[in-house]
Parts: sequence; structure tokens; C-alpha cells
Amino acid sequence: MKKFQEKTTGLLTNVDLKGTKGKIIYWFFFAILVISCLITFLPAIWTVFTALKDPNEIYASTKFFPEKLSWGIFVTRVSDSWTQLKFGRSILNTLYFSIVAWAFKLTVCTFAGYTFSKLKPKGSAMVFALILWTMMMPSQMRTVPNYISFLSFPFASRTEFGIGINLLDTYWPLWLGGAVDAFAIMLFKNAFDSISNSIIESATLDGAGKLKIFFSIMIPLSGPIIIYESIMTLSGAWSNFFGPYLIIQDTAKQLLPAKIFLMGNDGTVKQNTYLMGLIIASMPQLLIFAFFKKYIMGGINVGGVKG
Amino acid sequence: MSSNKCKKAKKSEKGSFYKKSFVSSWLFAVPAIILMYLFIWRPTVMGFVWSLFKMKGYTPKFYIGIQNYVEVMRDTQFIPLFLNTLKYVLWSIIVGFLPPVLLAIIVNEMVYFKQKIMTFLYLPAIIPAIAVSLLWKQMYDPTEIGLLNIILAKFGMSPYQWLGDGNFTILWIVVSMTWKSFPGAMLLYYSALQGVNQELYEAATIDGAGLLKRAWYVTRPQIMGVLILNFVRQIIGVFQVMEQPLAMTGGGPDGASASLGYQLYKYGFVTQRVGHAMALGTIIFVVLIFMTIFYFRLNKKLEETL
Repeated sequence: MKKFQEKTTGLLTNVDLKGTKGKIIYWFFFAILVISCLITFLPAIWTVFTALKDPNEIYASTKFFPEKLSWGIFVTRVSDSWTQLKFGRSILNTLYFSIVAWAFKLTVCTFAGYTFSKLKPKGSAMVFALILWTMMMPSQMRTVPNYISFLSFPFASRTEFGIGINLLDTYWPLWLGGAVDAFAIMLFKNAFDSISNSIIESATLDGAGKLKIFFSIMIPLSGPIIIYESIMTLSGAWSNFFGPYLIIQDTAKQLLPAKIFLMGNDGTVKQNTYLMGLIIASMPQLLIFAFFKKYIMGGINVGGVKG
Repeated sequence: MSSNKCKKAKKSEKGSFYKKSFVSSWLFAVPAIILMYLFIWRPTVMGFVWSLFKMKGYTPKFYIGIQNYVEVMRDTQFIPLFLNTLKYVLWSIIVGFLPPVLLAIIVNEMVYFKQKIMTFLYLPAIIPAIAVSLLWKQMYDPTEIGLLNIILAKFGMSPYQWLGDGNFTILWIVVSMTWKSFPGAMLLYYSALQGVNQELYEAATIDGAGLLKRAWYVTRPQIMGVLILNFVRQIIGVFQVMEQPLAMTGGGPDGASASLGYQLYKYGFVTQRVGHAMALGTIIFVVLIFMTIFYFRLNKKLEETL
């Protein structure tokens, strides 16, 4: 308990913690956190246990733990669920979709950030303000008009010229619509702002053009924010549900979140398989989190400072 | 040496790199501007314009004035839907606003396992929102296969309807939304707490302020900005709730959990009353814009008083 005396942050000071009252409060706080962790974990643990149960067992008893548990049962449950749910195709689709979405978004938003941060042509401050305003605009209003324009893209509706491309059942509306993100542009602008102008100036003297400066100075020097945005974009593809659900009806092209929604409406899927499906659907993001925890939890601080 | 560099930097503000080639400077932002026009600005404006049109399927036919609005408002469902949406907002403020604030403050007090606890609490934020809705739908199962009824059974109680109980369906949906969203908010508040000046706590302690007084007079004003921002964001977000009723209840039982957003989805994509969908979208938009303006006013006042 040595650290109690060295505590330098927070409401409770080290003086408080010397007294019994302070200690009681501290352990009370600790208890609250333990209970909160239980609330976040209990559903997850229940999901795993129920997913491993035999279907007859679910409806026969209300026991929390499965009656039998072994490696063999685990393997059969996973493979049975996999064959019934047929997630394979949509997982590959989502993987492919997320990588292209990532390439589009990073290109569009870093380029825009470059203009607003360093190139600053006349009028750019006003356009940047306009872009920031879109963050405050309620998005629900756009759902239907966007859908209408996807029927005859890039025109607003079919009547205007009677021509245009039908983008439904393709990933293009999602890629293009997802490529522009006011928050990402702002993050990149802030990151580029912190790069010293003198570096750019000396590169210019050496004869480097705008594009060269962008790729050899701006991008390498804003590593953390680029990694953060990349993680967010790649993991977002595994959780965005509504847009893909509306636009992609073709089962061969379905993305994973829409697929699990349809699983939820399918009456033939038993509870254990259903919960196994949710586990499989959460796996990509859990893996991304496991590998990039530092960036994900630190990156929100980047956004938080701005808030 | 350093002063030399400074001069160079200052000069460079007006140097060749920044002034030369207006067109090529804009070129980098062109994709973003075009996409923003096509996917954000134009649909927002067209949503309003077409709300004044008679739609045939997804094709606008002719101008009919405010008839779509009249029909949307005259719909017997409109008032209940509006009230339901307000219920979502109210419950989410009651259930969902304070817990992340308190948890952030408490986590910040921890001496041991601080990072581990944060990681554990972050779990729900990692699971896709649609999976969370479907998971909670299973937990709320009215028979004894749902987790919550299993727990009730452990205490010897009979199964409860949960989502089937029309009086509280919205509350139970909001609980599941809160479970999903509290870690993100907690992290936001936690980072705001890092900015609180520790000397203020020490000074307050010396002046004899107890724990609650310190929390109220030192912590609260310091994180007030983030608190209000998140409060307004939460209201704006929950007011547009749609996916959760769609995935968990289908608006039921008997319309008890249908929101304005869910109705917009049904107008637009199920019952094919597209003009009505856009009129309803405009109504939601106007309500939220007023709330945003209110927020900016409030924020300005707050900045003046601090």
C-alpha cells in the first residue's frame, strides 16, 4: 500500500488516504468498479457459455454454466454454427470492403487536411468552416435523398436528366460516402499544423513539389494520427449496419453486420447458434482492439482534447 | 542559429511555396469537397425541397406545397411517436448520462489496476452496435432462456416480459444502448479529468473542503465544457434512434417503442411513402438544429462566466 502515500492525482489526496474515512471511500470506489466490470462482462460470459451449450440443454434447464464442456464440444459447436450461419462469404466481403474504404478515406481526408493546413489557398478557411459545420448536421435527413440519388448517380434524382448509374447493390455509395469525414479532415489538419514550416521551406528549396512534400514529409511525420484513423476506418466496416443493409440486397455481396441482423430475424436459428454468430461477428473488432489497444484508447484522448 | 531559423520560418509564411499555384493547392481538397457536396450538402437541401413534392416511388413528380407535412402530422401515430422519441431522450439522460461521469471520476482515483480496469470496462464499446442490440434482445427473452430471467429465477422470481412490457420497452432499449456507449463517454471524461490542475485540490483540502465539496467546486467547473458538449451530443444522437427499435422490437409491442427515426425508415423503405419520409426528416432536422443553436448559446454563456 506504499503507493497510497505517493498518490498525486485525483480528488482523494494522500492526506485523505491516511485516515480511515479516506480508506473506506477508496475501497467503496473500488467495489463500484468491480461491480461495473461484472455488468460489462456478465453478458459476454453468458454469451460464450450459452453458445457452447447443446440446444436441448438451453430449453431444458436455466443453469448458467453448460453441463459438459470440453475441447471437442467447443470444436463441434463452432463448426456446426459456422456451417449453419454461412458467414464465410460476408466476412470476406467485409474484409475486401474495409480495405478499399480505408484507401479511399485516407486519400481523400489527408489530401484535404493538407490543403487546409499548409497550402491554404484563398478561401480555404471558409470552406474548412463549412466542412466543420457538417459535423453538427443531423444525418437522418440525408438517408432518403441519398438513396434516391444512388438510383441515378451522380444526379440527384432520376428525373433531372433521366440518366445516371444505379449504384444500389454495389459498394460504391458506401466507399464514396464514407471517404469524406469532417472529423478525420480536422484531425489531419491539426496533425499537419504541428509540423514546422521550416522543414517544408527547406524541402521547397531543394526543389520538392507539393506532392513530394506531402508524401515524404506530411505523411511520415503524422504517424500516430494516421494509424488511429486507419484503425477506426477498418474496424468501422465491421460495425456499420444501416447503410450497407439498405444499399446491398444481393446476398452474395452482403456485409457481416447486415448478415447478423438477418440472422436475428431468422426463426430457425437456435439461441446457442445465434449467440455463436454474435461472437463470430465481434471477433474482428476484438482482434483489432487486442492488437491496437494503445492507439484506440489513446486516440480518443486526441479527440477528447478537442471536445 | 535558432533565430536564423525563426526568421526563415517567418519569411516562409509569405514564401513561394504558399502563394504559388492557387489551382494546384485547391486540387488536393477537390475530392473531399465534391464528395461532401454529393453526400452531405445536396441531400440535405434536396430532402427539404422534395418534402414539398409529390413522389411517385423514388421519383419526384410535382410541387404540392406542405401537403406531405400536413399528412405526416395528421397521422394518428405522429404524437405518440414524438412522445416515444422524447421518452428515449429522457430515459437516456436519466440512465445514461451520469454513470460514465461518475465512473470516470472513480477510475481516476484508483492507485492500483487503473489501466486494467479501464480496459475491462471498455469491452462493450468494441462489440458492433448491431451485435449488442441482438445480444440484449436475447438477454431480455421473456421465457427462461434469457440471461435476465435466469437471474430472476435464481432469486426465485417468475419470468418478466422485459421488452414485451410496453410501459418500459423504451427503458430496456435505452439500458442496452447505455451498456454499449458508456465506455466511450467515460474515456472522454477521463481525459478531461487529466487536465484538472492538482494544485486546486490541494488548496481546497487545506481550506478544509470535504470530498463532495471538492468534487462540486473543483472538478465540476473544470469538466463542465465536455459535460455539456456530451449532453447535447447524446440528446441529438438519441433523438435520431432507429437501429435499436428496428433490431430489437420492430417498434413493438403495439408501437410502444417506435421512434420518429424508425417511422422515417418505414415511410422511406417499407411502406413507400417517400414524400412523407422526407417531410418527417425535415421536421427532425429542424428540431435538432434548434437544439444545436441552443447548445452554442449555452456554451458561449458558459465561456463568458468562467
